[in-house]
Amino acid sequence: MPRFQFLNSTSMPNHNYEWSYEYYDDEEPVSFEGLKAHRYSIVIGFWVGLAVFVIFMFFVLTLLTKTGAPHPEPAEPYEKRMRLTSCAEGLGRQREAETRTGLSRPLLEESRSLFHCYINEEERDGGRVTSDAGRTGSGHSRGQVEAVGLVVQSMGMETRAEREAALLAHFNIPNFVNSELSSALGDEDLLLGDPPIIMEEARPRCTHHIID
Amino acid sequence: MNSSSEAPFTNLTDCAEVQVPSQVFLAIAVASLSENLLVILAVIKNKNLHSPMYCFICNLAVFNTISSFSKALEDILLLFTDAGHLNSRGPFELKIDDIMDSLICMSFLGSIFSILAIAVDRYISIFHALRYHMLMTMRRVMVILSAIWVLCGTSGALMISFFVATTVKIFFVVLFFTALFLILLLYVHMFLLARHHANRIASMPGAQARHRQSGLRGALTLTILIGVFVACWAPFLFHLLIMMICPENPYCECYRSLFQLHVVLLVSHAVIDPAIYAFRSTELRNTYKKMFLCSASRICKQCV
Repeated sequence: MPRFQFLNSTSMPNHNYEWSYEYYDDEEPVSFEGLKAHRYSIVIGFWVGLAVFVIFMFFVLTLLTKTGAPHPEPAEPYEKRMRLTSCAEGLGRQREAETRTGLSRPLLEESRSLFHCYINEEERDGGRVTSDAGRTGSGHSRGQVEAVGLVVQSMGMETRAEREAALLAHFNIPNFVNSELSSALGDEDLLLGDPPIIMEEARPRCTHHIID
Repeated sequence: MNSSSEAPFTNLTDCAEVQVPSQVFLAIAVASLSENLLVILAVIKNKNLHSPMYCFICNLAVFNTISSFSKALEDILLLFTDAGHLNSRGPFELKIDDIMDSLICMSFLGSIFSILAIAVDRYISIFHALRYHMLMTMRRVMVILSAIWVLCGTSGALMISFFVATTVKIFFVVLFFTALFLILLLYVHMFLLARHHANRIASMPGAQARHRQSGLRGALTLTILIGVFVACWAPFLFHLLIMMICPENPYCECYRSLFQLHVVLLVSHAVIDPAIYAFRSTELRNTYKKMFLCSASRICKQCV
């Protein structure tokens, strides 16, 4: 670092003042003698910690995708199953047996099997499940609503948001925010599989439209 | 930094400061400048991109442009100083240095706030989807953006004026960690909701393979988003922490000797940001295609 020296001889002729800037940045007596660990140990430790954090976060997120968002198991699903149709009752009995033996089926598998059950039932009823482009009539949708409603109840989903989410999974409600989200987040899935929206405020509107 | 003046204290285990050639800084600054200017141009030209989401992305690009521009200017002035044309301790040069430092500081603060604003905007668009257009009117977006600019401008000026005080460094570190925590919270909550819905949709027959793949891609995207933010900012912030905590420890001294590498990481964040935020959107990419195809066809017509 440069040192500037000014000889101030005009104000006090007898004394020569020496002005200098002292830069203390690099003049600390840091001694490197007797280092026990490697001198870059903090650097290495920092980067290892950072890498561990990022990898840990990635693994936690992938674990979440594999097992699904954690759901508390319903406390007493047994009495709700009484309302289900025959195939679902069979499944319920199967589940009871498994819980008694100590096995627990994940909720997702159970819901999937119940969906399969209901879809088979609908197909047996005469093809009302097959998508009919021209017919957005209430009969089809009502059947689906009932099926979904029962399944939702049996899975013990009490919160309004979850009920709506399950309803929405079956209805293509045109949503202008959808296109914006997909353009905002990119076509390849960034954060969302299919942009799902919880419509809290639309609930009165939607349910009226569906049920009537 | 000249280590020859410390001859009595240096031995073979000394950590000399790692110097990064200014050409590297200039190259990164030029790349960042061109990318972010492209983003700003695309957002201004395309009327479809005049929405709150793209306003925040454009704002991030503006802050990155300012930071890379002022960093490039600082490097050029440093080159002039090394060549002897400028006096490194003259009052004019010190003032210019202060102005550029405060611009850089302002743009760093601004990019942190912009990233936070983008995360909040995405959060609102997912969890309050129907009220989104009532909550995020263009007027409110302008108010938010001007508040960010005023806050960052004054903070940048104040921080550089009083940089010696430790409160400034503590403020910067605390701000970064708060922003990181909020961003993690918002994005993980959005991710959980997305997985929740995707699982239900996947429970219908025939959607198995797509579900797994999309889940992994979402996790990867989120990891890249947060990982890049942390990897670019954390070394510099840790440097500030170490400056406050252990100024005389030899281990800390070895960490501080890598300062210029950490600044390179910080500046390269401005290069990576458009790739993560702006170029992901198909609408923006289509704007570029239209711009370049139109100009290419015009050139072809002129040639023929």
